[in-house]
Amino acid sequence: MTGAFEYQLADSWEEAVELHRIWGEDGKILAGGQSLVPMLNLRLVQPAGLIDINPIGAVEPRVADDRLVLSALTRHQDLLRSPLVREHCPILAEGAAQIGNVRVRARGTVGGSMCHADPSGEIPCMVLALDGQLIAHSPRGQRVIDAERFLRSYLTTDLAEDELLTEIRLPIRKHGQGWAFLETVRRYSDFATVEVAATATLSSDAHTVTALRVVVGGVADRPLILSDELLSAAVGGTGRDDELRAVGAAAAATVSPESDVHASADYRRRLTEVLTYRALGKAIERGRAESKGAGV
Amino acid sequence: MTKTQVQLRVNGRTHELWVGTNRLLLDALHDDLGMADVRYGCGEGVCGTCTILLDGEPVSACLLFAVQVEGREITTLTGLPAADAESHPIQDCFLQAGAAQCGFCTPGMMLTALALVERTERPTREDIRYELVGNLCRCTGYTKIVDAVEEYACRRRGNGSHD
Amino acid sequence: MVAMTEAIESAPAGTTEFTVVGNSPAHHDFQDKVQGTLRYGADWKLPGMLYGKVVRSLQPCARITAIDTSAARELPGVVAVLTASDVPFNKVVDNASGGLGELTVAQPVLAEDRVRYTGEPVALIAATEPEIAAAAVDLVDVSYADLPGIFDPEEALEPEAPLVHEAGNVLVNWRIGRGDAAAAMAAADVVITGEYRSQHVEHAYLEPESGVGWSDNGVLTLRVSTQVIEHASQIARILDVSENKVRIIASYMGGGFGGKEDMTVEPYLALLAWHTQRPVRMVWDRQESILASTKRHPFVMRYRTGAKADGTLLAQEIDIIGDAGAYPCLSARVLFAGAALAAGPYRVPNITTRSRAVFTNNVPASAFRGFGAMQVVFGYESQMDKLAERLGLTPTEIRDRNQVSKGDTIPTGESLHTAVELTATRDLALARLGPRSTATGPGCRVGRGFASGMQPYGRTIWFRDHASVWLTLQTDGSLLIRSGVTDLGAGQAASLCQIASEVLGAPLEEISVYIGDTALNPPAGGTFATRQLYMSGNAVLSGARELRDSLAAVAAEELGVPPDTLVWRDGMVRTADSSGQNRGIRLAELAQMCQRRGVSTSNLHTWRARGGEFDPEAGQGDSFPDYTYGTHAAEVEVDTETGVVRVLKYAASHDVGQQINPVRVQGQIQGGVMQGLGYALMEDHALIDGQPVSTLFANYLIPTTMDMPDIEVDVVESGEGCGPLNARGIGEPPVGPCAAAIASAIKDAIGVRPNRLPITPERVLELIDEQAAGRVAKDGDHE
Repeated sequence: MTGAFEYQLADSWEEAVELHRIWGEDGKILAGGQSLVPMLNLRLVQPAGLIDINPIGAVEPRVADDRLVLSALTRHQDLLRSPLVREHCPILAEGAAQIGNVRVRARGTVGGSMCHADPSGEIPCMVLALDGQLIAHSPRGQRVIDAERFLRSYLTTDLAEDELLTEIRLPIRKHGQGWAFLETVRRYSDFATVEVAATATLSSDAHTVTALRVVVGGVADRPLILSDELLSAAVGGTGRDDELRAVGAAAAATVSPESDVHASADYRRRLTEVLTYRALGKAIERGRAESKGAGV
Repeated sequence: MTKTQVQLRVNGRTHELWVGTNRLLLDALHDDLGMADVRYGCGEGVCGTCTILLDGEPVSACLLFAVQVEGREITTLTGLPAADAESHPIQDCFLQAGAAQCGFCTPGMMLTALALVERTERPTREDIRYELVGNLCRCTGYTKIVDAVEEYACRRRGNGSHD
Repeated sequence: MVAMTEAIESAPAGTTEFTVVGNSPAHHDFQDKVQGTLRYGADWKLPGMLYGKVVRSLQPCARITAIDTSAARELPGVVAVLTASDVPFNKVVDNASGGLGELTVAQPVLAEDRVRYTGEPVALIAATEPEIAAAAVDLVDVSYADLPGIFDPEEALEPEAPLVHEAGNVLVNWRIGRGDAAAAMAAADVVITGEYRSQHVEHAYLEPESGVGWSDNGVLTLRVSTQVIEHASQIARILDVSENKVRIIASYMGGGFGGKEDMTVEPYLALLAWHTQRPVRMVWDRQESILASTKRHPFVMRYRTGAKADGTLLAQEIDIIGDAGAYPCLSARVLFAGAALAAGPYRVPNITTRSRAVFTNNVPASAFRGFGAMQVVFGYESQMDKLAERLGLTPTEIRDRNQVSKGDTIPTGESLHTAVELTATRDLALARLGPRSTATGPGCRVGRGFASGMQPYGRTIWFRDHASVWLTLQTDGSLLIRSGVTDLGAGQAASLCQIASEVLGAPLEEISVYIGDTALNPPAGGTFATRQLYMSGNAVLSGARELRDSLAAVAAEELGVPPDTLVWRDGMVRTADSSGQNRGIRLAELAQMCQRRGVSTSNLHTWRARGGEFDPEAGQGDSFPDYTYGTHAAEVEVDTETGVVRVLKYAASHDVGQQINPVRVQGQIQGGVMQGLGYALMEDHALIDGQPVSTLFANYLIPTTMDMPDIEVDVVESGEGCGPLNARGIGEPPVGPCAAAIASAIKDAIGVRPNRLPITPERVLELIDEQAAGRVAKDGDHE
């Protein structure tokens, strides 16, 4: 049973920014509500004001300057249904399909997931893997924040108290780039125990792995980018099993997850190794198919 | 606490009520409008017993406030257009398959399944399982529920065979 | 006036085939359920109704030094705040322990000076709005002084352990003994030891505990989601009123599984409605339900099994410890069932079983589908598999050598008096698995296993169980059944209609069943222990036959044939002559004839179960009326790199004697398997120092559609059972064999046998690691 609050509607981002300024830390932004409203129902959060930004509505995903542009209010299910997303950032569709359930995907928003910054959330992991940018608005103007900087810690972002996330921009997939999003869950539809988002770029002859980007979620207070050093065993290689396993092992040796009720640190480390290895394999395989023009 | 007037459009009819801004849509439907087919099961959006269709999409009524849905079309199980005077074809399929035991999850289960079959003409058993993953059932083991949805999709396609 | 008789189409005379029983009509509660119109516990709203909430302890073990309710009372909209001093008789007393395991500890309705588990009720709130009641809960200020608690039942047995209750930490200590187990063990060619552990499990019915209460004409009425309306007598004691002043009505439940067998909302609703004299509704939050509702007992089971070299069992020594939690609830009986069934469906000439329920400061454990007899399946089936491996026999061979048959004596000393179709169920389940699947990936391995089990149906025999029913043929030929039965959603009420229809020939659509009301129904006993088909089904069968006999006298006279030649079908009674010109009377006409002749068309009937005695000192005697047997077979795929177990195929077969409603029988088996697979693989209400780690429905995990395979069911109908028309109960039995079948399949896949539940992916990896490190004995048991 939710405590009492003032309910405020924002019809535009400008209005939302203004209401956000007025309410300050006494107010909460209500987007999809799939994380916030459970916390309200459990009385874990009791804001004085709730600013509902849903009426602003989401513009359709679009491509501009080689970037896929998503409104912060884009629902998870739109990632699954948009042909543009599937073409230019297919990893988003793959990961979004693993978010919660059909009701969560119908209401939950990409901006809400980014701002909630759950370290095992699918959206932050993928946005970081895609090296996305986040657009924040405040009375002071607009700020562009790299995903790596945006995701600061457990449930904590780089947004200032008066800033609102309005848009996410993601580099579109290049020719010869493959992708994979893998997670293990204790039960289908749950938050991931460990998740891995990976992209792999192959040479034009589809032979050599020229670039990799891998992000692991669920092993720290925020999703972690695997360093170039960790990836070095596979970059420049041909995607052989032993190369990929070496990266997995290096990743597992690097992360220092905590034990919690869902999994021990050791188990998370094991999953990091396996999922990294498997995600790389899948991403490289797709990249190879892409660069051969076979499609997938 | 101050109350505000909202107009809820539910099952094709408009209702005016006075609710607190913190009134969950679930409580407005269940208690204020007396709709027994929209049920509290967890308040976390996990179990699916409060599933409604909001403009045709399944959502958790426990994660929406009544003030949020003015002007939206809400459909609950009892608002489904019936094939005959009695029931909607999906209800017949659940009835024939024995897909309900305690019945508590049944309305939400059927609404989620309906939305799936609206979008996917030929869902596989795996498609059905994927779509219903957020509607928990503690009685049936799900086998007969999947049977019922498969049968409904088949009937809706208008042929008598599973292909 | 001469009754109208008419010629009707000929029907086969003297047929023994059923016309209603054995079919699966989609009638009665199914209709309302698919329409969404059934009214559950939370679905009533009365004028002036208040909303009740329970204030619960956040400490597992503490002295209450003060309770300040002033801030809550001052909150506008709060009508009542009650604490222990407002409770006329502050004890929950179960007076039905039947002379065995007499309980010396009573649970307070509201904690007085001390709390013993996290979630224990301390105070009650009634307010005009649910949101206000919830806010008031936060305003009740309870001051605690921590006391040392005890959270592990084995530690609770230590001499210096803190006492949960002054009477000591052992609630009950059952012994079952037969022969000389020690001597036989010493003489055995092979001895297998094993230790098996199970976990706390949450019922997780989709409908939370709920109901409304009101006071009217000096009578307190509760309409609640409950398995047991007979709790009315306890409510009367708590309110200090006579029992005729309390009425309990059971709504159709949105699931119960044993979790609504003890009282849930009843005493709190009663107190609030009695004090305020206004209607009150109470619905427990899901999180409150997970925190404070009773759980399935975690068992620690230690087995020593001695056998001859050919596999013949000689002896079993079994020790069971069950974590009762902070209060007795039904622990004494759960641990009795565990003791009685600990050896499973195998002949054991020499046996010593000890089974103790131990108090801790954990959440109370009580009834949950399987009731002690399901936990031990994991123990005895694992032992059988290990014995087979040790001796180089197949799992099937070891069972063939030791399986009980009709007429055999089980460890309690009683003999099995109905068919034991274990082999038939095993053959069916194994055949259902079909060709073995191939692994889907390089790190994946496929394994298969099976497990058999036996589960009692009906209450322990010394309760001298009985159930009453009242049948009335109305003047229009429709039939009323009145029964105190409560309906869990498994078709308890609908089955009664089918049986009555079979006997009296009244069409199902002309039968109404009024259930679950202490004021208006004859008592049927609660719905638990897989007893309602057995008890109330028998009551309806014999009550309907009695009614038919009295009606038959009138019909026979009218039709001029002997009463025992009449056929009752399709709303008519007719002659069974083979001439093709048989005649009949509509039931409506017959009822009217009876009325004119002063013959009653109503029958109140009580059916009594077989009685018996059990000697707790000797550990011998009668225990349960009968058992339902079954076998489950599973095929799993284990991902050896992540530990994830996927159930690829699952087949379950049980002998149900005679099916009353096949679709509902299948549903019970499929649903039982779902709960069993959750228990085997993911469900765990883990506690750390009495505090639950899963407090949300998002992290107490029950299986979803994606976690479950299709459950294949094969039903055996032996035609032998103690239920009506030779049926056996099927409510609890399907939950038993699952964990053992899955464990066996995992062993087959990875070569090492799990001995602890749930078998989570992380535990699977640990097992694989242990095996790699060479810490695994030859029979797959890790040391």
